[in-house]
Amino acid sequence: MSTQRIDPLVQVETTCRALLNELQIIWEEVGETYADRDEMLLELERECVEVYRRKVDQANHSKAHIRQTIADSEAELAAICSAMGERPVHIRQSDQNIGSLKEELRKILSQVEEMKKRKEERRNHFIDVLDQIEMIRNEINGSTESVSSETVVDETETDLSLMRLEELHRQLHELLKEKSNRLKQVQDHLNTLNSLCSVMGMDFKLTATEVHPSLGDSEGSRSISNNTLEQLGTEINKLREVKIQRMERLQDLATTMLELWNLMDTPIEEQQKFQNVTCNVAASEHEITEPNTLSDDFINYVEEEVSRLEDLKSSKMKEIILKKRAELKEISTKTHLIPDTQLEDAIEAIDSGVVDAATILEQIELQIAKVKEEAFSRKEILEKVEKWLAACEEESWLEEYNRDENRYNAGRGTHLTLKRAEKARSLVNKLPGRVEALTSKIMAWEEERGSEFLYDGTPVLSMLEDYANLREEKEQERRRLRDQKRLQGQLIAEQEVLYGAKQSPPKPQSAKKGSKQCTGVPSTKKVALGGPMLQAHKLDSVNSLRISQTRSNKKTEFMLQNDAIPASPAFNRGQDIADAPFRKHPSNGVNTNEIESQLKTIPTNDPSNNTMTPLKTISSVDEENRKPKAMHSTASVQMQTDITPPPTLQTSLVEETHEEMEQSFEEKRLALMHSDKQIPSMIQV
Amino acid sequence: MTSAHPPLAPGRELSNPPTDGISNLRFSNHSDHLLVSSWDKTVRLYDASADSLRGEFMHGGPVLDCCFHDDSSGFSATADNTVRRIVFSHGKEDILGRHDAPVRCIEYSYVAGQVITGSWDKTLKCWDPRGASGQERTLVGTYPQPERVYSLSLVGNRLVVATAGRQVNVYDLRNMSQPEQRRESSLKYQTRCVRCYPNGTGYALSSVEGRVAMEFFDLSEASQAKNYGTFATGGCDGFVNVWDGNNKKRLYQYSKYPTSIAALSFSRDGRLLAVASSYTFEEGEKPHEPDAIFVRSVNEIEVKPKPKVYPNPPA
Repeated sequence: MSTQRIDPLVQVETTCRALLNELQIIWEEVGETYADRDEMLLELERECVEVYRRKVDQANHSKAHIRQTIADSEAELAAICSAMGERPVHIRQSDQNIGSLKEELRKILSQVEEMKKRKEERRNHFIDVLDQIEMIRNEINGSTESVSSETVVDETETDLSLMRLEELHRQLHELLKEKSNRLKQVQDHLNTLNSLCSVMGMDFKLTATEVHPSLGDSEGSRSISNNTLEQLGTEINKLREVKIQRMERLQDLATTMLELWNLMDTPIEEQQKFQNVTCNVAASEHEITEPNTLSDDFINYVEEEVSRLEDLKSSKMKEIILKKRAELKEISTKTHLIPDTQLEDAIEAIDSGVVDAATILEQIELQIAKVKEEAFSRKEILEKVEKWLAACEEESWLEEYNRDENRYNAGRGTHLTLKRAEKARSLVNKLPGRVEALTSKIMAWEEERGSEFLYDGTPVLSMLEDYANLREEKEQERRRLRDQKRLQGQLIAEQEVLYGAKQSPPKPQSAKKGSKQCTGVPSTKKVALGGPMLQAHKLDSVNSLRISQTRSNKKTEFMLQNDAIPASPAFNRGQDIADAPFRKHPSNGVNTNEIESQLKTIPTNDPSNNTMTPLKTISSVDEENRKPKAMHSTASVQMQTDITPPPTLQTSLVEETHEEMEQSFEEKRLALMHSDKQIPSMIQV
Repeated sequence: MTSAHPPLAPGRELSNPPTDGISNLRFSNHSDHLLVSSWDKTVRLYDASADSLRGEFMHGGPVLDCCFHDDSSGFSATADNTVRRIVFSHGKEDILGRHDAPVRCIEYSYVAGQVITGSWDKTLKCWDPRGASGQERTLVGTYPQPERVYSLSLVGNRLVVATAGRQVNVYDLRNMSQPEQRRESSLKYQTRCVRCYPNGTGYALSSVEGRVAMEFFDLSEASQAKNYGTFATGGCDGFVNVWDGNNKKRLYQYSKYPTSIAALSFSRDGRLLAVASSYTFEEGEKPHEPDAIFVRSVNEIEVKPKPKVYPNPPA
C-alpha cells in the first residue's frame, strides 16, 4: 500500500475497503461459498456493529459520567453556597443549551473551584475572628487554656454565612470594646493606685505587681482578667482605707496641734512649718493628693511635733498651777481663811503624773472662785473683825498707858500719845456696841452660809465670846472695887460730918495724879475706861466732892442723895465736876475743837497746869433709856449761880453702859449749842 | 457704794440757804413752794422752781420742824418750846402754844383740821389753829407718851408717833384718848424717823443704824407684797437712795451729797425732790460742809419699781 497523507478516517476507510477487497480476493481464491462469504461478511458486519455498539456505550458512559460530575459539582456548589449562606450563583438551566456538556462541566468545576476558594477564605476569616474572640475571652476570663481551633472550625462547617461572620465580628468588636474598657479600667485603677501609693509613700510598682505581675510593667500588655480587676479594686479599697485612716490620724494630730498652738500662742514662724498639715485638717479623702503627705515617716514626724507641744503645754500648765496656787494662798491669807490642804497635796502630786494637770487647774480655778466668793461675803464682817482686833489692841495699849505714871509728863510726843489715848478711849467705848453688832452680823452670816466664820482657823464667835467674858470679868472687878471705894468714901464722908474734914485719904498707887488732886482745886477728873483709873476717878471725885462739900454743907445731903440714886452717881459727880470747872475756871477754856465723835472732851491744855484734866464724857449708841430729869434737877440744884443749866452733856461712864441715856442727834446738838453759849458767858463771869 | 449710773449733778442748789443746820424741809401740797426749818432759828420759804427766797421768819430758838397749812401759812416747832403759826404774806408768826421742852415735830392734819406736835417733854399735843391765839383756846388735847417724841407722821386718820426707847404709838385721830396700837420698833437702834405710806396701810421706820423697817397697821395686810411702793431714804453717808419696797431692792442712788442728808421731800407731783444736805451732828461737833439745799428733777426711771422677772406668788 501506498502511504497517503490522507485524513485518518479516510485512511481507515480506505484500509477497510482495501481489506475488504483483499478479503474478496482471498475468498475468491479460496473459493468460499457465497453463503459462507455472506456469513463471514455478516459476521464481519456483526462484529463491526458490536464494536460500534461498544464505542457508543463508552461514549454514552462518558457522557453520563460527565453529566454526573456536573450534577455532583452542582450539588457541591449548592452545598458550599448554602454553607456560606449565599444563594447558589449557578442555577442549572436544563432548558437552555448554553454549551456542550463538557463546557458546562468546565464551568461548573471552575465555579466550584472558586466557591471552594471563597469558602476557604471565609473559613479563614472565621477562624481569624474566632481566634481573636477566643484570645480576648481568655484574657478576660484569665484562663490560659485555649479552645482548640479545630472544634471551632468544626462549628464553622455548618455555618459560614456572612451573617454569622458579621455576628462574630460584632462579638469580636464587643469583646474588643470590653477589652479596651477593661484596659482603661485597669489603667484608671493603676492611676488611682499610683496616686494612693504616692500620697502614702508606698512603692507603686511593688504594689501593682503584687496584684498581678503584668501590672507593674508599664509597657507590656496588662492583665485584664476579672480576677485582676477584682484584685485591683480590692487593693485600691484597701489602700484607700489605709489612706483614710492615716488621714484621720493626721487630721487628729493637726487638730491637736492647732489647739495646742492656740493654747500656747505659738509664734507664726513655727506654725508655718506645719502649714501643709494644718491646711488639710478638714479635707476629705480625695482632696489629699500631694505625694508623701500621708507617708508613715511624715505622720511620725507630725506625731513627734505634737508630743513635743504637749510636753510644752504640761510644763506651762504646771507653771500656771503654781501661779494659781500662789494666788489662792494670797487670797486665803488676806481673808484669813486656811487654804485647803487637799489641793496642796494634789499639786505636789502633779509631777508623779498621778493626777491630771488639767483637772488640778480646774480644781484650783474653782477653789479660787469659791475663795473669792467667800472672801467677798466675808469682806464686811472681816473688816469689822479687823477693826475690832485693832480696837482690842488699842484697848490693851490704853490699859498699859493708863498704868504708866509718866504719861502726863511733858515730853516729845506726849501730845501725840494723849491724842492716841483719846482716840483709844472713844474706840473702846464703841467696842461693846461693835462687838454686839459684829456678833449678830456673824450669826446671821453663819446661818446664811451654814458654816462657821473662821479667822485664821478659829471661829470668830468664840473669840468674841472670850473677849466678852474677859470684859465682863474686868467690869465686875471694877465694879467691885468701885463699890468698895464708894463705901469707903461714904464712911469717910459720914465721919467727916461728925468729926470734920480730914486729910485726903491716900491715893491708890495707880493714880499718880495724887499730887495734882490735892491742890485743892476741883480739877476735873478723868473719866477713863481703864479699870484702875476708875478707882482713881472715884476717889478723886470723892475728894473733889468733899472739897466742894466743905464749901457748902448743904450739898452733903445732895451728894449722898446722889449716891443713893442708883443711876450712875458717879455720873452725877461727873456732872458736878463738869460744872465745877465751868464755875471756877474760866481760863483754859474748853477747846471745843477737839471734841471728838460721840465724845465730849474738854481736854487739858497743859497737864502740868494741874488745873484741868480732861473730862471725858462718853455716850454710846447702845443706850438704854434713862431719866434725865434727875440729872437735870441735880444740875440745877448744883449750879445755883447759873442761869440756865447746861443740859445733858451726854455724860456717862463706860462701866455703866447699860444705864446710859439715849439722846437723839438733835438733843445733843441743842445741848452743845447751849454749852457753847455757856462758856462765853462763863468767861465773862 | 458707787452708783452704776453716771454721776449726775446732785440737783440745783438753792440760793440763800439757811446759815446753820437744816432740820427739815417740805414741799407744799399746792405748789413748788418749799418750807425749810433751820438751826439758825429761821423758817424760810422758797419757790423751788424759781430758786427764790420768798420769806424768812425769825424764831426764838432753833426750829426743829415745820409744815405747810396751805400756800399762805404754815407751822413751826421750835427748841424754845413754842409752837408757832407763820403767815407768809404778812411775814409774821404768832405762837399757837407751848410745850415744856423743845418741840421736835409738827404736822398738820387736813382731815382733822388740827396741828399735831410732839415734844421732848414726852407729850403729844393737838391744836386747833382756827381758834384765837393763846394756848388755852387752841390746845385741843395733851397725850402723854412713854418717852420723848422723836418723829411723827400722818396718813388719813392715822397718826404714828415714834419716841425714844424705840417705842411706837399708833393713834386714830378721831379717838386720841389712847393709842390704837402700842408697838416697839423692830429695829435694834434708836428710831430716827417714821413716815406713813401714802396708801395708808402702814409706815416705814428708820433707825440711826441705817436700816428701814416696813410695818403694817393691819397684820393681815402685811402678807400682801403689793402694798409696798417706792420710797427714798437719805442717810448720814450723804447718799440718797430710792428703794423698791416690794422687791426690797435699791432702784437708784443719787450721787453723793456734800454731807449728811438732813431731810428729803418730794413735790406734790413727784417731779421734784428737795434734798437738805446738812450735817446732823451724828458724830458730835466736827467741821463739816456748809448746809445746802438741792432741788433735783426726778426721772420716772429712778423711782419706778423694776418689773419682776417672775410674777409674785399668789398671796
